[in-house]
Amino acid sequence: MKLKAIFIEALRSLWCSKQRTLLALVGIIIGIGSVITIVSVGTIVQEEVLKQYKEMGTDILTFTGRGPKIGLRLADSLSLPGHCPDVKTTAPYISQHGTLKFQGKRMEIPALGITESFKDINKLTLTAGRFISDFDVFMYYCVIGEEVRRKLQKLGVTDFVGAKVVYKDRIFTIVGGVADVSENKMRPGEINRGILIPVTTAMRISNTHEIEKVIAKLTPGGDEQAAISQINLYYKTVAKDLAVQVQTAKELIQQMQKQMRMFTLLLGVIGSISLIVGGVGVMNVMLVSVSERKKEIGIRRALGAQQRDIQGQFLAESVILCFAGGIIGVMIGLGASYIVARFSHWGFLVSNLAVLLGVTVSFIAGVFFGYYPARQAARLNPIEALRAE
Amino acid sequence: MTKNFLNVSHAMLRLSDIRKTYQLGPVEIEVLKGVNLTVEPGEMISVVGTSGCGKSTLMNIMGFLDTPSSGYLYFEDKDTSHLTDRQLSCIRNQKIGFVFQQFNLLSQLTALENVCLPLLYRGVNEQQRIRIARDMLARVDMSDLINHKPTELSGGQQQRVAIARALSGSPSLILADEPTGALDTKVGQDIMNLFLDLNRNRGNTIIVITHDPNIARQCNRAVRMRDGMLYEN
Repeated sequence: MKLKAIFIEALRSLWCSKQRTLLALVGIIIGIGSVITIVSVGTIVQEEVLKQYKEMGTDILTFTGRGPKIGLRLADSLSLPGHCPDVKTTAPYISQHGTLKFQGKRMEIPALGITESFKDINKLTLTAGRFISDFDVFMYYCVIGEEVRRKLQKLGVTDFVGAKVVYKDRIFTIVGGVADVSENKMRPGEINRGILIPVTTAMRISNTHEIEKVIAKLTPGGDEQAAISQINLYYKTVAKDLAVQVQTAKELIQQMQKQMRMFTLLLGVIGSISLIVGGVGVMNVMLVSVSERKKEIGIRRALGAQQRDIQGQFLAESVILCFAGGIIGVMIGLGASYIVARFSHWGFLVSNLAVLLGVTVSFIAGVFFGYYPARQAARLNPIEALRAE
Repeated sequence: MTKNFLNVSHAMLRLSDIRKTYQLGPVEIEVLKGVNLTVEPGEMISVVGTSGCGKSTLMNIMGFLDTPSSGYLYFEDKDTSHLTDRQLSCIRNQKIGFVFQQFNLLSQLTALENVCLPLLYRGVNEQQRIRIARDMLARVDMSDLINHKPTELSGGQQQRVAIARALSGSPSLILADEPTGALDTKVGQDIMNLFLDLNRNRGNTIIVITHDPNIARQCNRAVRMRDGMLYEN
């Protein structure tokens, strides 16, 4: 009952000095708003990155050779699923760089030597034509990525299937195109930027017998750790002294999450600085308010207000101020992160943590930054306060 | 005097050798130099004196806004020298009603809300607060202006609201510090009549501090303050 009256009194006095209230509000809104924007955008980015990783599936692992003999043989990699029960398919590949010539134009692009299984493991979709087939052994066929397609389009080629291009002085026929895919550490970035050619052709061009990396997909319900030991065992048997280094999608995602959390925390700390500045602003406004309202404090004390009544009233004002600022700040922060997400084509999501954080922090800030001014007000000598003008 | 003799232990307020000194830099100034005063219930006392003679200091001490440097102050026969700030606040809230020269109404509140304030600090619920405040405003003939802010009221009207506020907590003692000081003679007399009415017909104990002998004459007892000492007139 008394609390309600104190609350109403506080609201009224805030309303009476609108300009002061507004200025204090702006400080706290910016403070909370920036913390929320940062934390919210951080969460959105984290989700977005994870989505890119999860898009390929968490049942993916990659491995490369390790030790004195680092090369993996193509045949071994292709027959691996037959020897490892937890591995469903493998997609070995090699990458190279070269000059693509078309209608007298030259462009430096990467090329990936791949097998047919590469398409499904990397979840690629065709924009035109067909994909590289396992029957294209030593054939000069290529599938182009989005970037090459756009370059060709600039040269006036819209129907590129069947067109001939020269890559590393060999004439390739374009058989298809693949859509853009998000890049992550499991999936080679050359897909978007370069061309895909049969792995056998690539090995012949670069005169090598070894492949660079293998992407493997587990059988449904397959165990990751079992697969890793099976792969290791397999290579020990087929190629003496050859060890493999395996990286799993799960590991990567966990690493990523850890990094992201650190990053969000760091940004949150930076954002808190503006919150502190806003809080000090509130404290300043409250101190001014106390000294301006000395007479009022004196009158209230003469009428029987106890120190805690006065303290409660000023504390209520600062808490209301910060809480209102906090709620507006949360809304602005969410709005800002929505705009950021919208322009970056990320999926927007409301981070419950950010909202809870904003509301709680603003309440705490209200108590923290209001305590000192409220204490000052409560400790005023009633007579001196009454004498003030 | 007879009343005093019969009811020795029922004085409302008793000041015994009250002294108050202020430290002003290196100089110590003694404002009250041993004040003795007994206030009986139902009395209407005027304290007269020139400005700077210590009237206001005395009023602050009698109103529990200030504490004496030495001496004893008994309120309803209880020694008040060891009371905490909280207890003093309670006495101010429940036993004392202040009326100031400059009215001291809170400008952001309406007349009704101003009158409600002492009850608010006492923890009276809203419904009851409003009921009492309306009664008090009616008692000072301000029923028509209860929703007006102080700035919308004349000086005399503001002082009436202030008196209603002092009455709202049904205090034992009303302390009025130059209540007519900021008003013209006619309005001042109206306010004085109101005090006289409250004292005679409602039994309120009132102490009026004034420098106006005309006001002092209307009270049933007048004391004079000179150089920090109190003399019965």
